[in-house]
Amino acid sequence: MEKGLSGLRGRDFELSDAFYFSKKGLEAIVEDEVTQRFSSEELVSWNLLTRTNMNFQYISLRLTAVWVLGVLVRYCVLLPLRVTLAFIGISLLVIGTTLVGQLPDSSLKNWLSELVHLTCCRICVRALSGTIHYHNKQYRPQKGGICVANHTSPIDVLILTTDGCYAMVGQVHGGLMGIIQRAMVKACPHVWFERSEMKDRHLVTKRLKEHIADKKKLPILIFPEGTCINNTSVMMFKKGSFEIGGTIHPVAIKYNPQFGDAFWNSSKYNMVSYLLRMMTSWAIVCDVWYMPPMTREEGEDAVRFANRVKSAIAVQGGLTELPWDGGLKRAKVKDTFKEEQQKNYSKMLVGNGSL
Amino acid sequence: MGNEASYPEEICSHFSSDEIKRLSKRFKKLDLDRSGSLSVEEFVSLPELHQNPLVQRVVDVFDTDGNGEVNFKEFILGTSQFSVRGDEEEKLRFAFSIYDIDKDGYISNGELFQVLKLMVGDNLEDWQLQQLVDKTIIVLDRDGDGKISFEEFSAVVRGLDVHKKLVVIV
Repeated sequence: MEKGLSGLRGRDFELSDAFYFSKKGLEAIVEDEVTQRFSSEELVSWNLLTRTNMNFQYISLRLTAVWVLGVLVRYCVLLPLRVTLAFIGISLLVIGTTLVGQLPDSSLKNWLSELVHLTCCRICVRALSGTIHYHNKQYRPQKGGICVANHTSPIDVLILTTDGCYAMVGQVHGGLMGIIQRAMVKACPHVWFERSEMKDRHLVTKRLKEHIADKKKLPILIFPEGTCINNTSVMMFKKGSFEIGGTIHPVAIKYNPQFGDAFWNSSKYNMVSYLLRMMTSWAIVCDVWYMPPMTREEGEDAVRFANRVKSAIAVQGGLTELPWDGGLKRAKVKDTFKEEQQKNYSKMLVGNGSL
Repeated sequence: MGNEASYPEEICSHFSSDEIKRLSKRFKKLDLDRSGSLSVEEFVSLPELHQNPLVQRVVDVFDTDGNGEVNFKEFILGTSQFSVRGDEEEKLRFAFSIYDIDKDGYISNGELFQVLKLMVGDNLEDWQLQQLVDKTIIVLDRDGDGKISFEEFSAVVRGLDVHKKLVVIV
């Protein structure tokens, strides 16, 4: 604000001060930083998918022909193959984990459970034609730690579990998701919550603390943004995950939008249509960067720690960093933001207090 | 209204047809209840506008017919004043209108006070604000009528290169 108002502290009000706010207002009206993150990224050059074709213009017969060919390949060749693979993968997961769950607790059980998880995840990733590059594997999250990553879609979970086993945290769902969840928890401990329990933050924190206290348990996977963002930026990390203690292992995930748009716009598409869109894209190509572990420093509060981790992830993944809360997708912004703007402006006028 | 295929070509603005297309999409996106016009609530649903103390003034300036909402034509004409191709005169007019709440062509003491109050909120006492307002009017009011006309306003602001500040790329 100081730069925009081009003043020194304690200078008088000038008529041109209103220009700063007007201009900021107009900029936000034309394109704002926040709501654009809740819809798919616009591509610079078209990748032959109708869904990314925002400004349709007929260009040439050849291009249309190529596009038609693309549609045929994607829907008639790739889709059936992928659906079959997905079916195999999920069935194997449910059957495998149920079988492993019958065994008594032992290191054999853990080893088998990991095997089942990894195999089925790899099959499922193939079902999406996923090509994943893992960087810095030496920093892969260890047992007893917390893995923290930016969130773009439910596929993030699949991408990460292909390379290692995690304990998931989340709400209990019904339907297909519910079946998978119940099967998974038989083979190794995950932390599933009832919807009512999620509201009780202390209960959540307590259960997570108990989990990481046991060093033999798998690292917990958490997405602190709390909602899906479109992979161009990282929004506010909720401090809850950073209050539990323990070692945080940050992970940055960046999808290549040329091959397919991985972002799940949950207000526009339900899970099934989202998966269908995924399976009719060219491929899911992404980079995963494992980062050196971070812990809360002396005297650092959870919010600052969360921001530190967020910046690290944003820098590594090449994403913009935004202080806004991803929850703004559905909720209104608080009035305190406006009051803060007013306070900052007033401070400029008053300077050292002698008005 | 708000139907992309039928945006009237006769809206005289500084925008190219590409820019109008983009703005038309933006208008549709902002128009949450699809009423064809934007209310203050719809503007304020953008977090960055919600935190802007002058959003009500900007909407009022856009709203030329005074019905409390901004229809597509007012939206285009309003944003056009910030276009990179706009001239200095219309930008000065826009800036002046931010202060001129009753649109009578003069910024009165009370109007200046109200706008300043919007910008500082409760962080300054009313008497402090009044002091600032009185000082500004004394300095700017050349003809001594106690209020600031457009000519007096432009005389001061013109030299600040306002046309460079009030530009937004579409």
